[in-house]
Amino acid sequence: MYVKIESLCFAYEKHDDILNNVSLTMEEGEIVAVLGSSGSGKSTLLRLIGGLEMPGGGHVMIDEKTLCSTTVFVDAEKRGVGMVFQDYALFPHMTVEKNVAFGLNKLSRAERAKRVTQMLELTGLEDKRHRYSHELSGGQQQRVALARALAPNPSILLLDEPFSNLDTDLKYRIRTELRAIIKQTHMTSILVTHDYEDAKAIADRIVFLEEGRVVEESRIPHPKA
Amino acid sequence: MLRRLKTKANVFNVTGLVAGLLIVIPLLTILLRLFEAPSDAWVHIRTHRLRDYIEHTFVLIGVVAMLSAAIGFFAAYVVARYEFKGRKTLQWMLILPLAVPSYIMGYVYADMFSYIGLVPRSLRDIGIELNLAVMSMQGAIVIFTLTLYPYVYMITRSALSRQHAAYIESARLLGASKWRTFWQVVLPLARPALVAGTLLVVLETLNDYGLVAFFNVQVFSFAIFNAWFSFDDVGAAIRLSAVLMIIVFVVVVLERVLRGRRRYDQTSRPRPLPRRALKGMEKSYPWMLWLMLGGGFFIPVGYLIWLSQFSRVGFFALETIYVMLNTLTISLAATLIIVVVAVMLANFGRGRKTRGKTAWLKITNLGYAIPGAVLAIAVHVFFVRLDRLLYPLYRWVDADTGRLVLSLSLTMLLFAYVLRFMAIGFNTIEASYDKLGESYTEAAYTLRSGKMKTLLKIDLPLIKTGIIGAAIIVFIDVVKELPLTLILRPVNYNTMASRVYEYTSEERLAEAAVPSLILIAVAAISVYVLTHVKSKGGVGRVRKN
Repeated sequence: MYVKIESLCFAYEKHDDILNNVSLTMEEGEIVAVLGSSGSGKSTLLRLIGGLEMPGGGHVMIDEKTLCSTTVFVDAEKRGVGMVFQDYALFPHMTVEKNVAFGLNKLSRAERAKRVTQMLELTGLEDKRHRYSHELSGGQQQRVALARALAPNPSILLLDEPFSNLDTDLKYRIRTELRAIIKQTHMTSILVTHDYEDAKAIADRIVFLEEGRVVEESRIPHPKA
Repeated sequence: MLRRLKTKANVFNVTGLVAGLLIVIPLLTILLRLFEAPSDAWVHIRTHRLRDYIEHTFVLIGVVAMLSAAIGFFAAYVVARYEFKGRKTLQWMLILPLAVPSYIMGYVYADMFSYIGLVPRSLRDIGIELNLAVMSMQGAIVIFTLTLYPYVYMITRSALSRQHAAYIESARLLGASKWRTFWQVVLPLARPALVAGTLLVVLETLNDYGLVAFFNVQVFSFAIFNAWFSFDDVGAAIRLSAVLMIIVFVVVVLERVLRGRRRYDQTSRPRPLPRRALKGMEKSYPWMLWLMLGGGFFIPVGYLIWLSQFSRVGFFALETIYVMLNTLTISLAATLIIVVVAVMLANFGRGRKTRGKTAWLKITNLGYAIPGAVLAIAVHVFFVRLDRLLYPLYRWVDADTGRLVLSLSLTMLLFAYVLRFMAIGFNTIEASYDKLGESYTEAAYTLRSGKMKTLLKIDLPLIKTGIIGAAIIVFIDVVKELPLTLILRPVNYNTMASRVYEYTSEERLAEAAVPSLILIAVAAISVYVLTHVKSKGGVGRVRKN
């Protein structure tokens, strides 16, 4: 298994459990949607995988590398995990190009430029290269966030409610587009959402989360793209 | 046409128009005098002194701006991002140095470090010879920084504590180290606040006259006063003012240009980063802040208390009480006028924002960017003209009247206070209105409530906290004001600030300690109220949309 999450637990001080023994395994290149209502702990799951919160217990292993266990905790900046935030969190003081290049500072200048161009082509944003995020539409902003997260070639891509900031009519088109881009890069991805339709349109498999527990799983048949 | 005029002729628009005119006219009057033939004194100043004035001014504002920005940002960062014992106390106390006017701090440190002062004398007893030239450019820089950094601190702290956690988390997930995240994300995002605070520091430094005169640091405000009082040459003073205004203009425009197309708007619902505990070296941060606060507040206040025992004019002397009553009366009057006009102006600015309206509001609030010396000249010249214009009217009322009436009265000083501090009241009140949104007011209008009724019954109760805040900030500034007071006050009229100045220029430092302490106490209590009234609900609970 490419991704192995075992009995992950999390609770804030003096509060009920947010996550209670959550386990999940994924194959390489698989897209899993975690579906749940607000407060079900689905965003927390992503933050734990990303290393933004410290779990109360459990293991996370990706590509044979332990990211956290009882003895190990790899810091967020060393994990190599990509994340698209709910409000995209595009750096407002940087252009599209600079945003995408942010995670590539270890590459040489030439390699970096090449990778940025490649990412912008993948997401169809070549002509928006020198724009600032406030000069883009919601859909374009989302693609920049995706390009930025994919650029350093992370081991896994995490998407937190990627459609909550988009108009409904825009959403339909973007869903298929998003799946196509992710599948093209063969990126293992977890997406959390509260919308069943979103989950169905994008994911290979849906995991239902309720009050911090996995309650059900279902596989979605997709026609071969 | 008439219909359009009628719908627009409401109380808010009229106030907006009149308030703008009242600042434009005085400024135009001095602008016109620029075209008159230059005097000999001006020729002398231009050929021999101007270069020095410009150079000194730029060195002073440049270094003070950099130091205050660094210190203010550091203080804001520590208080906003770390949790430690005493954080809440530090959070408001770090604003306290604003209660100590720089001219008072100046004479305190000058006296403390003079040859026979407390510090060198005590050191001499244990065999150390210390010769610190406090009364110098360097001394002025340190004192301005210690008293003015709170402007940067206040604005930056509120920006940092609202900074969206997702930006920082994104940077980390993209592999950026803490250091890189700080330099490339945290700091640039806080830039607008940092710049706004630093701009206030620069404007305050340019405005000061008391400290630079006492330390003999030859910058512009010093030069303007000098031209006016020593050379008795208003024309030269006006020309110097024009050059100073060009400097202010360049500073403001430069900031706009550097900002470019970039924006720093953050998401509408930021999720702030939780504060974390101090680790290792970081544990020294709060101590550094306490040390700074010691130098900027506790040491000068302590020294003043010690000094006051030698004063021949006590706290309860008739003279002291009289000056205190003067100060409170005129400060409260100015505050009241500013708050009322600012509310009208804020209403004038609400609703559809046209370019003309925005520009006019900017002009109305120009006073704060105009250094006291310049504004004083403008107001003085304007009032003398006004008196000349009104002379027939005076004659009609009283046949034996002198030619100057208004310009010899307190009206002139009050008018100058209002012009200078309008922006401070306006900006605070406008911010409250922005937070409130339009819907409550519009709902009231659709329920057939008139403009005035809506203002009194709906708007004012909702922005109460903002109004109280505005009033306190304006009040503190008026109480401390020196350059305008010195020039525009009637003969024998004193506020605490001008009394302090008089005593210090006569080298009667012990006597100066008493009004200084009262002034600092009034301002410090106001700071306390300001920082503690805001935390209680009020507008904070009303969400936009």
